[in-house]
Amino acid sequence: MVAIGEGVISQLRRGVLEFCVLALLRDDERYGFEIVRALSEANGLVTTEGTVYPLLARLRKEGVVETTWRESPSGPPRRYYRLTPAGRSLLDAFMTEWSRFRDSVDNLLQTGALT
Amino acid sequence: MTTTTMHPLAADYLDRLEHAARRLPRGERRELVEDISAHLTEATNANMSDAEALTVLDRLGDPEEIVDAQLPEEPYRVDRRGAHEWAAIFLLLFGGFLFFVGWVAGLILLWSSRAWNARDKVIGTLIVPGGLATVLPLMVVTGSTQHCVSLNGGPQRCTGGPSTVHNILSIVLLVFLILGPICTSVYLARRAR
Repeated sequence: MVAIGEGVISQLRRGVLEFCVLALLRDDERYGFEIVRALSEANGLVTTEGTVYPLLARLRKEGVVETTWRESPSGPPRRYYRLTPAGRSLLDAFMTEWSRFRDSVDNLLQTGALT
Repeated sequence: MTTTTMHPLAADYLDRLEHAARRLPRGERRELVEDISAHLTEATNANMSDAEALTVLDRLGDPEEIVDAQLPEEPYRVDRRGAHEWAAIFLLLFGGFLFFVGWVAGLILLWSSRAWNARDKVIGTLIVPGGLATVLPLMVVTGSTQHCVSLNGGPQRCTGGPSTVHNILSIVLLVFLILGPICTSVYLARRAR
């Protein structure tokens, strides 16, 4: 069996990771550790948890998420992330594109022909 | 920073992260260290075993890798060196031999190109104006100050020759005038890539 290069998978993962973060925030605000653990537990989405924090910082800089500090029941205050209206539009746009993309690839892989 | 409930190995990890993050701008560095510190406070405590703490740190990843993820991605590089840029580099280097006009043409090409930023253009202009041709007048000046006479067919005596200090200064200037334009050409060729 031919192994798929790690580079291919990590590129795919990198391409979708930010939208997975946005999807995690669709209904609720979450704090950093919660987001990181949720991504980490989704099989294969994140290999190094620490690299999610730079991504969160970038999303905030781009204005698709915003943050608030809230007291924690145990320990220091937590930085909570939530979607901005721009983030919500971006997520909606991605979901439409993604289902089209996924269907095309699935169909091609299964039948060897384009619909 | 709250490190009171953190495992000692986690505190050590945080030190390594702070060291690795020195290449980031101050604001980004502070935020990253704050985030990872909060993560470690959530994920570890002083009472857990070393093995448990190391598992948390392994999942977090290498500090260098986290800092790399914070750096902007290398933009897709396009080679911007067309005929325009190569002509500019060639004329800045050798154009001075064409009655200086060639160098001026090179200068116009340099400043009209979009392949270089303002700093590159200033360097290309100032090091060295005239390019390699600038070295010629210097060679004429240093070679013309010595007078030699021979009395009644005796051994030749030379006077008015350059002093040692003068000689050294001339050589340094000569090397600068030759190497300066060459290095600038290499620099411009690399910057436009």
